[in-house]
Amino acid sequence: MKPVVLRDPRTGREAYAIAQLRMEDRGGRMWNLVGFQTRLRIPEQQRVFRLIPGLENAEFLRYGSIHRNSYVNSPATLTPHLSARDDAALLFAGQLTGVEGYTESTATGLLAGINLSRILAGEAPVIPPPTTMLGALYRYLREADPAHFQPMNANFGLVDDLTTRVKDKRAKREQLAERALADLAAWRDAALLSGAPR
Amino acid sequence: MHTSSSELIHIVRGGLAGSEAAWQLAERGHSVVIHEMRGVRGTPAHKTDRLAELVCSNTFKSTETSNAHGLLKAEMRLLGSIVLWAADEARVPGGTALAVDREVFSAAVHERVTSQPRISVVREEMAMLPSPGIVATGPLTSDALATAIRERLGIASLAFYDAIAPIVSRESIDDAVVFQASRYGKETFGAAGAEGAYLNCPFTREQYDAFLDALIAGDQHHGHEFDEVPYFEGCMPSRRSRVVDATRFASDR
Repeated sequence: MKPVVLRDPRTGREAYAIAQLRMEDRGGRMWNLVGFQTRLRIPEQQRVFRLIPGLENAEFLRYGSIHRNSYVNSPATLTPHLSARDDAALLFAGQLTGVEGYTESTATGLLAGINLSRILAGEAPVIPPPTTMLGALYRYLREADPAHFQPMNANFGLVDDLTTRVKDKRAKREQLAERALADLAAWRDAALLSGAPR
Repeated sequence: MHTSSSELIHIVRGGLAGSEAAWQLAERGHSVVIHEMRGVRGTPAHKTDRLAELVCSNTFKSTETSNAHGLLKAEMRLLGSIVLWAADEARVPGGTALAVDREVFSAAVHERVTSQPRISVVREEMAMLPSPGIVATGPLTSDALATAIRERLGIASLAFYDAIAPIVSRESIDDAVVFQASRYGKETFGAAGAEGAYLNCPFTREQYDAFLDALIAGDQHHGHEFDEVPYFEGCMPSRRSRVVDATRFASDR
């Protein structure tokens, strides 16, 4: 949090201290609080980090945590469908791939099953488009900066923006969800995947 | 859907991801073996030898599609997730969250997956990476398998602890307060370049003191015993901050 070298262009002076945010995704929707790895409880993270100037109304896309957790540096070492680079039929799935949460872990198992089946049938692996939450999570695992890679949970910052600007947050999310489900269904049908469990 | 394969597929561990993957493969005509070490070798977190045992919370979070987790679940339902089917079967009242009875849930996954005629479960610890196969060994991957992963993917490919900083949305950051700049022109992120890569939140002395007081007094989460992490001196300002001046002038990471 040292202020050295950084001058606020509005005052021309160094501030007493600085907290830095680093761009987390190429779309610039997600910003990481550099160095603030923390075990604070979630309501405490909201209360404490909103005391940082500029973050008074911060919307948290991921909370800090420190866990025992084995996970692979996926952007550095795996293919887009999360296989070893020298063997498309050796896949990784679950929390080991650098996703966080029950739903996210299950989702990577689901897509790994679909893709290994395709690979054994001589077909190319498939990944949903980044307008879907599943596709956006896979994009993160593929494109995140390997030097700073830490596990990620599902959040709307991962997903491509709408083509039109919607101000109301809830309305925006409803439109993002509607687009995601339509795109996922179209992707599923194009890839000739089956639907409901039998 | 796809042609059935005579080649046996190996899945390492029958947690949420491994169980779901096995089901998807079997439903497409493949024969699958789940290698699950629980039953012969436990973990510090699991209590049973069932497939898909939940070791932390009993909720899969929101069901509303305007919530990111709810949307992901809705997408998985379109793809026929067996785990979400089991979660629905085991659902207990939890408002808009999909909360489950963990016993009923893992029993449902276990029963459905093990009664699939193309899936078998072998109780053993795998120390190699199978092909064709899926490695889904989770946050408590065994030492033997961790060694195999590092030999295959590289020594730096596998981490044993996470240290996660919060992420906030760009649209929620106040542009009247923050400014773009980087130190020494060294901090870059791909196409964004040095200037675009960092946003700076400037503190006055009063703001900084108030922030540190809150940070130091903040209530910390104490997880399960298996979750404890050794203290890394000098790597986490959020803990290091008890030494106030050290925080302002220690190098950021």
